[in-house]
Amino acid sequence: MDRESIEKALSKPALYGPDIDLSKYRLDEPSMGELNEKELESIDNVLDKLGFQKTPLSYVQIDESARYRIMEKFLSKYGAKIMPLRKALDEIDLAKKISWKIIKPDTDKYTASTYLHGGEIGYFIYVPPHTRIPIPIYTCLAIIGEKKIQFAHNVVYVDEGGEAHLVTGCAVPHGVREGIHIGISEFYVARNARLTYTMIHAWAEGLHVRPRTGVYVEESGEYVSYYVVYSPIASLQTYPKVYLSKNSRAYLASITAASGSGIYDLGAKTILGENNSSSEIISRVVARDNSQVYARADIEAHSSNTRGHIECLGLLLSDNAIVSSIPIITSKKPGALLSHEAAIGMIAEKELVYLMSKGFTEEEARAILIRGFMNVEAPSIPKNIRAEINRILDLVSKYAVG
Amino acid sequence: MLLEIRELSSCINDKVIVNKVNLSVDRGEIHVIMGPNGSGKSTLLSTIMGLPHIRVCNGRILFDGLDITDKPSYERAKLGIALAHQYPPEIKGVKFSDIAKAIISKYGCGDCSLMARILRVDELLDRDLFVGFSGGEKKRSELYLVMLQSPKLALLDEPDSGVDVESIEYIANAIEYLRSRGTAVILVTHTGMITNKLSRINRIHIMINGTIKYNGYPDEVLPVIMKFGYSRGLEVLNRTFKGGI
Repeated sequence: MDRESIEKALSKPALYGPDIDLSKYRLDEPSMGELNEKELESIDNVLDKLGFQKTPLSYVQIDESARYRIMEKFLSKYGAKIMPLRKALDEIDLAKKISWKIIKPDTDKYTASTYLHGGEIGYFIYVPPHTRIPIPIYTCLAIIGEKKIQFAHNVVYVDEGGEAHLVTGCAVPHGVREGIHIGISEFYVARNARLTYTMIHAWAEGLHVRPRTGVYVEESGEYVSYYVVYSPIASLQTYPKVYLSKNSRAYLASITAASGSGIYDLGAKTILGENNSSSEIISRVVARDNSQVYARADIEAHSSNTRGHIECLGLLLSDNAIVSSIPIITSKKPGALLSHEAAIGMIAEKELVYLMSKGFTEEEARAILIRGFMNVEAPSIPKNIRAEINRILDLVSKYAVG
Repeated sequence: MLLEIRELSSCINDKVIVNKVNLSVDRGEIHVIMGPNGSGKSTLLSTIMGLPHIRVCNGRILFDGLDITDKPSYERAKLGIALAHQYPPEIKGVKFSDIAKAIISKYGCGDCSLMARILRVDELLDRDLFVGFSGGEKKRSELYLVMLQSPKLALLDEPDSGVDVESIEYIANAIEYLRSRGTAVILVTHTGMITNKLSRINRIHIMINGTIKYNGYPDEVLPVIMKFGYSRGLEVLNRTFKGGI
């Protein structure tokens, strides 16, 4: 792609979400190095918000500083690699080959500025063929300075028959008022491979967030994503896109606990590109205060004998909040089976009354019901990952109740 | 006396459903309230539990010497009253075991695995609460949650309606177990099916049109009601025993 068209895209707004003037934010000189304990201490509060432990963290990005360490005992034992993308681009041919291939730099101003100014800070993860990494790989991206812009470009490649579980947390510590996070993520799931990706956003009222995610799943591969947002926010806009090859499948769940005056524009698109591919897009939205939530989902079938389903459920907890569900299903071949269902409501009174008669206070009963509402279960998720997701949802339901 | 109800009337949307009912229940006693559909039996139990859609329009409810007439249901539950709902709601996403655990964390658990065995609920615990449960499974599961509360007073609303024969057996065993622990039981039934499975019932109350029209011992009341039904049976009872109220 020529530089000129990318530079032109610097002024190209995104299709959805409020347009952000990036010149209002400060950019540090991108840097990288090994992670030390002092830096970990500086983000104690962030890890706390995400419910993360320090020990398993393998990549931490603080503003524009990429800090990594290989989880020696675990990842290296499996031959897996994790490092800042900039380092990978110097050392690993594969990284060079696949970087910016799923997401085009001129998609919008956010991708363009990451390409031009981001310094390729972000993580690169490689899982060798037929290697299953049983424990989650934890990464954390934090903004600790005021009015900062954070670029992250992440590339993950799970090679043939491999399996990895990635858990990423993005957050600011208490006290940071303004900033913008732009995260570009490109995931490759090779033949018969499997990737689960759990993402937690815990930002603050003045933060804008623009993740751009593209996933390519090869034959018989599987991609499972849990996307969780539970903090107040200025705005978040994302619309990950997943391309599915023959016999592959994707399950994308997003759980949004919206509060404050934030605009939460979360979507997911899957392309059923080849025979016998399937996808499910599930979203759960709980909105309170003055928040606005747009839950978008789009399934496009390009081949017969494909299946896709969208399910969006919303709970409105305030008179001033808005939840909007926008599902799209498009079939370009006969024989594709696509469906969607959406419902927006409030907490069922009879369920509340029932639980209160069992001795739960109204607050406790609401928390139980909201936690239940958020319970989305991907099929075939390993036990320890499910436990991790359950832990995160426990945290989120506490915030959702307020 | 554990429970004393005095001149209790309760209203739903200003309509009187339960009308000036008096009832006293002591520890370890089993009282059965029988009557045709729509006679106010369930509303009486809901009033004792303090469910919010019901308003007490007359009288008082005393529990363990404490006036609970104006207390919300969760406070009554904490004091030791538990209600097995006639139609517990299906709650998607909330596991039966999660609710059981949450109740255990409030009330403790001395013998909950025994209770699970008595009611045969083990295989249901991993499912969403009441979602897709059969009639018998619902009743057994709801009674299990009541038992986990270790109540002083258990209010059982139609535990024998719409259930299979095995489930009635398990439910009767559970009620016997509750009683053996000193729990008082008020059991509402319109079919009376469960009554001959229980070894000892202290009193049977016949409720019609919101009022308790008769109360007596099971040997005196049950054969007559089973033979003649409620309205004709009541006439026979009043003529034969001149008891009642």
